[in-house]
Amino acid sequence: MLKVRDLSVSFRTEQGIVRAVDGVSFEVGEGELLGVVGESGSGKTVSLLAVMGLITDPNAIIAGSIQYRGRELVGLKSRAMRVLRGKEIAMIFQDPMTALTPVYTVGWQIAEQVLAHQRISKAAAWQRAIDLLAEVNIPKPEEAAHRYPHQLSGGMRQRVVIAMALSCNPALLVADEPTTALDVTVQAQILDLLHKLRRNHGSAIVFITHDMGVMAEIADRMLVMYAGRVVERGTKEELFRVPMHPYTQALLDSIPPLTGEKPRRLRAIPGTPPILLNRPPGCAFAPRCAQRFEKCSAEPELGNGERAAACFRVTA
Amino acid sequence: MLLALLQRLGQMVFVMFGISMLVFLIFFATPGADPAARIAGRNATPEVLEAVRKSFGFDQPFYVQYLTMMKKIFITGDLTSFVNRGWKVVPAVMDTVPVTLSLVMGAAVLWVVFSLIIGIVAAATRGSWIDKTLMVLGLIGISMPVYWLGEMLNLITQSRYHDTWMFSWVPPLGYKNFSDDPKGWFLTLVIPWITLSILYIGLYGRVLRAAIVESLQEDYIRTARAKGLSEARILLRHALRTSLVAFVTLFGLDFGALVGGSALLTEVVFGLQGVGKLTYDALLNLDLPIIMTTVLYASFFVVMANAVVDILYMLIDPRVRTA
Amino acid sequence: MSAPLLEVIDVAKRFAVGSRFSRQGVRTVHALDGVSFTVMPGETLGLVGESGCGKSTLGRCITRLYDLTSGTLRFAGTDITSLSRRQMRPMRRRIQMVFQDPYASLNPRRRVRDLIAEPLRVHTSMSETEIASRVAELLDIVGLKSEHALRFPHEFSGGQRQRIGIARAIAMNPELIVLDEPVSALDVSVQAQIVNLLADLQERFNLTYIFIAHDLSVVRQVSTRIAVMYLGSIVEMGSADDIFSHPAHPYTQALISAVPVPDLDAQRSNKRIVLTGDVPSPINPPSGCRFHTRCPVAQERCRSERPPLMEQSPGRKVACHYPIAADATA
Repeated sequence: MLKVRDLSVSFRTEQGIVRAVDGVSFEVGEGELLGVVGESGSGKTVSLLAVMGLITDPNAIIAGSIQYRGRELVGLKSRAMRVLRGKEIAMIFQDPMTALTPVYTVGWQIAEQVLAHQRISKAAAWQRAIDLLAEVNIPKPEEAAHRYPHQLSGGMRQRVVIAMALSCNPALLVADEPTTALDVTVQAQILDLLHKLRRNHGSAIVFITHDMGVMAEIADRMLVMYAGRVVERGTKEELFRVPMHPYTQALLDSIPPLTGEKPRRLRAIPGTPPILLNRPPGCAFAPRCAQRFEKCSAEPELGNGERAAACFRVTA
Repeated sequence: MLLALLQRLGQMVFVMFGISMLVFLIFFATPGADPAARIAGRNATPEVLEAVRKSFGFDQPFYVQYLTMMKKIFITGDLTSFVNRGWKVVPAVMDTVPVTLSLVMGAAVLWVVFSLIIGIVAAATRGSWIDKTLMVLGLIGISMPVYWLGEMLNLITQSRYHDTWMFSWVPPLGYKNFSDDPKGWFLTLVIPWITLSILYIGLYGRVLRAAIVESLQEDYIRTARAKGLSEARILLRHALRTSLVAFVTLFGLDFGALVGGSALLTEVVFGLQGVGKLTYDALLNLDLPIIMTTVLYASFFVVMANAVVDILYMLIDPRVRTA
Repeated sequence: MSAPLLEVIDVAKRFAVGSRFSRQGVRTVHALDGVSFTVMPGETLGLVGESGCGKSTLGRCITRLYDLTSGTLRFAGTDITSLSRRQMRPMRRRIQMVFQDPYASLNPRRRVRDLIAEPLRVHTSMSETEIASRVAELLDIVGLKSEHALRFPHEFSGGQRQRIGIARAIAMNPELIVLDEPVSALDVSVQAQIVNLLADLQERFNLTYIFIAHDLSVVRQVSTRIAVMYLGSIVEMGSADDIFSHPAHPYTQALISAVPVPDLDAQRSNKRIVLTGDVPSPINPPSGCRFHTRCPVAQERCRSERPPLMEQSPGRKVACHYPIAADATA
């Protein structure tokens, strides 16, 4: 249902052009959960903001193709995009503390979205808001609808954001690190809720996170991003059991285990993620890679298959 | 909410009391100066001095003096100016209040309406030539001195072009009571209103634009976009609403100060007998009772305007309501 | 057995919030309530818990950034509870702190050289050449290059900034370092580097750590012993291995089970306990056991009677009326 081909997002800055997203391609099937993993600056958030048409920076240049159910979204008029956004494609944000307008009740904010896309009465929209709050397990939804964001805890606010995203039964849900800002017991509640909602609504979800543990729990298929590019693609099972790209492997190795024998030292990845400004040619991970060889000074291609990794060790 | 309101009003009374005490101490308890001599004015005879001393109770302890003073201002209202030989101060101040209120309130309506329009339009078109033009106009408005602008307008509407079709409606300078002659009241005040409001339109327009542009960077604006709302709705319902706090704060301070006498220059230029003009004249004559009364009156308005702002905060921002 | 380096005895910390003019008036936040533990030289005590559990407040109390409301702190046998700022100064050399956000805790207008030299200038009478060579040595110890000395904090990545923060903390050869979420703001690939660096430093300089974090797998990795906190109190304490293999407090158990593990097999065998509701407000903590409002096994007694932190087996303490037996989770 969503086909992204060769998507690039660059930002013009005073120091030069920053290629935040560089030739990213992926697909999302109906009802599927695609997990996108990467560290800060890997381009995972920017590429999904591009899908949502939410990059408003006048210095951004977006190239490539984003097709939603056969419709091209790149270059779509903002009016046409607005009709899709919030109705067919909805988004959940990282920080629930700042994602809601502070001066309106949460019920009002949910009803506002319903009214923007459906021809129903205000009373019906309010009732819909209450039903949605109940669906995301907010206790006493009638009362909660009258509350302002600052009166709710972080977990409750994230539920409100989720309720809002679900308000028009979107076919595609983009979730940008929806549990990162939450405590681990609250994260468990929210992941549980997303599981349930997925069963009930059948929306496809693109889930962005840096947490491999969360990924292991919810993803069907995964993309691993590094420095603006997709470095590995495959199903969750393939990626966790037989990681192909050295970066994926290293990422999994560097996480301290929760059970079993404690390693004396963690297997850390040396160095730091590259700066995207005026990036040198070649594999971006090569400077930190334990398996690099002569070929890595060229740019490795990510194959076209369902299972692929952008690494010369794999393709060689 | 109601409790918070009452508390706020209680606070206001408390602050008023503090101010009256402070003003009294500054005027009558400054060491090294005889307050009676100052009230009596320059070249007062010993008989007058003696009368002042008796009338204000300067032979008695401070708290009695304070109470006498407050009684004279608020209860009996018979505080007398000695410089102006028996002029009753309280009615004199009360006469000037409607003039100043008419001037400031009319100007406030103008400046709120126009600065809202300018701020919103500039923020909506940020970066474009419309935005830039509006901001330059705003800066010009801020930089024009009130007395110069007023005199220029007077020159144009009262003398040079007064007989053309455009300005023949402008009545001569002065003030007409609203109850006697509503039309005259309105016509005499139009030019002063414009004069007084230009500065504030420029200032508020620029402040509002900056606040809206800042709000537009917030996360919740991105949420609003993701909801598929129209840009106009995002601007008016989400960004503007959260930007009003800065606007209302400024408004409260400026409105209070203007009603309290800061509209002096406009009043002088247009020959309006307002509070500012009265205070100005009293200062020239060192007429202490009048100065004392107008200072108290001014502080009363500043405090009241601040209380109104706080109440408006509660309406605008629910976070203040429950904090 | 040697003497403990740090003894924390029945420490409480309360904050006043609000004003007399707000609707609820002045309210008291019970940030810490009856916290006691000891730290032995050379060990790492991990403090874990969710936001609002008081772990950061505790760290700041130990370093005397906050004054205690009640209780006693004893460092190397000396009571430091009520030392004045001046009396505390020689102690500050021996107790250091590293913060979560290295960027916020480093003065952006000063060069790295001066940031690291600052504690040396304040606390010692070293000459400028001695200081310069010590700074170079410290940069090398934390894995930075000597040319980094002349740069400003904004020129560094998050991991490098945390290295600067660590260099500053170890400059005076302290005995105890309180690490407040030192790796939480870092990317996963960099987290492991810092965790390893901290382990190396501990071994090399015989440091004692109090490691505050919300990430359980990191805490398990670095800690000798762990104290689990909930709403201002310690609910369970014991060796890191014991706590993770046999959690005795229902909260510890739920907390551990809530962590998503990047391992598909472990995921399947792990039965997750999803707690309902949020952490209650520390302004009005629940009666009895503070966890009873969310506890899956709470009984009537838990609502009224507060369980004390009791020794369950040697080195293992639990504050629960109905702790989970060790064999039940094995």
